[in-house]
Amino acid sequence: MVSLGWGFMLSACRKASNMVARPDKRALKAVLIDLSGTLHIDDTAVPGAQEALKKLRNASVTVKFVTNTTKESKRNLLERLHRLNFDVQENEIFTSLSAARSLIEQKNHRPLLLVEDSALEDFNGIDTSEPNAVVIGLAPEHFNYQTLNKAFRMILDGAPLIAIHKARYYKRKDGLALGPGPFVTGLEYATDRKASVVGKPEKTFFMQALSDLGCSPSEAVMIGDDARDDIGGAQNAGMLGILVRSGELTFLPSRLNSRHACRCFVCTH
Amino acid sequence: MRIAFSNMADASWPECAKCLKGVILDLCGVLYDSGEGDGVAIPGSAAAVKKLKESDLQLRFCTNETQATREKFVAKLQRLGFDISVSEVFPPAPAAIAVLKERGLRPHLLVHDGLLNEFVGVDQTNPNCVIIGDAAENFSYKNINEAFTVLIGLEKPVLFSLGQGRYYKETDGLKLDVGVYMKALEYACDLKAEVIGKPSPTFFQSVLNDMGLQPNEVLMIGDDLVNDVGGAQHCVMKGVQVRTGKYRPSDEKHPTVKADGTVDNLAQAVDIILSQRRR
Repeated sequence: MVSLGWGFMLSACRKASNMVARPDKRALKAVLIDLSGTLHIDDTAVPGAQEALKKLRNASVTVKFVTNTTKESKRNLLERLHRLNFDVQENEIFTSLSAARSLIEQKNHRPLLLVEDSALEDFNGIDTSEPNAVVIGLAPEHFNYQTLNKAFRMILDGAPLIAIHKARYYKRKDGLALGPGPFVTGLEYATDRKASVVGKPEKTFFMQALSDLGCSPSEAVMIGDDARDDIGGAQNAGMLGILVRSGELTFLPSRLNSRHACRCFVCTH
Repeated sequence: MRIAFSNMADASWPECAKCLKGVILDLCGVLYDSGEGDGVAIPGSAAAVKKLKESDLQLRFCTNETQATREKFVAKLQRLGFDISVSEVFPPAPAAIAVLKERGLRPHLLVHDGLLNEFVGVDQTNPNCVIIGDAAENFSYKNINEAFTVLIGLEKPVLFSLGQGRYYKETDGLKLDVGVYMKALEYACDLKAEVIGKPSPTFFQSVLNDMGLQPNEVLMIGDDLVNDVGGAQHCVMKGVQVRTGKYRPSDEKHPTVKADGTVDNLAQAVDIILSQRRR
């Protein structure tokens, strides 16, 4: 398999850095990096990714890891990254669960949490008694007729619907499987209401991820393997997007459509 | 002068009842509420059906019922006290089977166990399309994922949905209907489903053909504003909504569909129709 390696991607970063340079010489300040499909696939690191991350650490840029997980807590993610020898701190990780939590806190919701048990610890301390909001992530064990009916009735009675993200499907070892997006879309149709989506590719997600880094979107790039959620989303927020061919694309080349390809770099892992 | 006025008025409910030649009734939410066992008849509905049958109007039943075979749910309605026979009832499954034959398609089924008998004799090996109906308890993640896997593996994915309802009312509350899962699979596979059943115009047309009537001679009565009333109006029939079944007060302020009339229940609708015709 052809591999230009993460080294090539770093040169793409430098190129991106030059491209975003404005007359006032603003340069690249932050790099946002997707996790699954970009740094690792399941429990295997993408070849060269650890080395590339080290190089980035030596450059004068801030690195943040942004991911659309709905079933893994920050602690789970961090443990895996450490197991795979990635040099990452917990406060460098920003997930769609973090974004959901901050929305819940901001609005004082008491959520019905349709997320996998493994994700619940990211909601520690949130009051879930007499729920008045529905939060929906990837939770196959909750996606049954009874639970969805319950969520549906709550939304029909006025509870807001918050989607961790709206991914159509994800890659499992045995093939593709439905993500939360189809179920969110179904509930939207049933209730004639729109979900608030908090994960990628929402603009607010990228802005929140950058918020404590003190840099503007034009000073940041996003590296990921999903043309729509990583690249499209980042570009929509005013960042540059660099697509890697290590994750979803090996499965579905058609997702690399011309609309995105013409505006981003493409790297083979 | 007076005649001109009355002609104009005849076009709208309830005066339009004078010129009707046929009535189509929805079943669930109009005749009965489904639920435990056979469900319960809506008060006055059995008598209303009887009155319509004794009148000079033709009567058909058009339903998106896909939880049981026609024979089974007609028997249920008879137990609930309704004068109804299989040949008067038009559900989506037989229409779907006709489409499969015509297009040489072999379905993967995501339907209620009670509907499986309708598909006996239909080749389901090596499926090249998916049919979803109101599968209720069978709408598990595993089963929906299986339908998704079939669709995403097809060169030209074809999804048939038996109706596209959002929800319906059972005795213990509102339940999600097939349309919700149709939308889920549409979104997952980036495709558009073909709806067989209400509000599909070809489905209504097949009922009109059976009656031998023009759409402007027929009135549809249902509890689903979009699929019963809107679907009928789209075919130039009149559509009246009952305030039973899944009716919600917000239906009367719907942004795109406005019923020709809204009545408390089927009994009231039939009394209004028959009294107009006696005038």
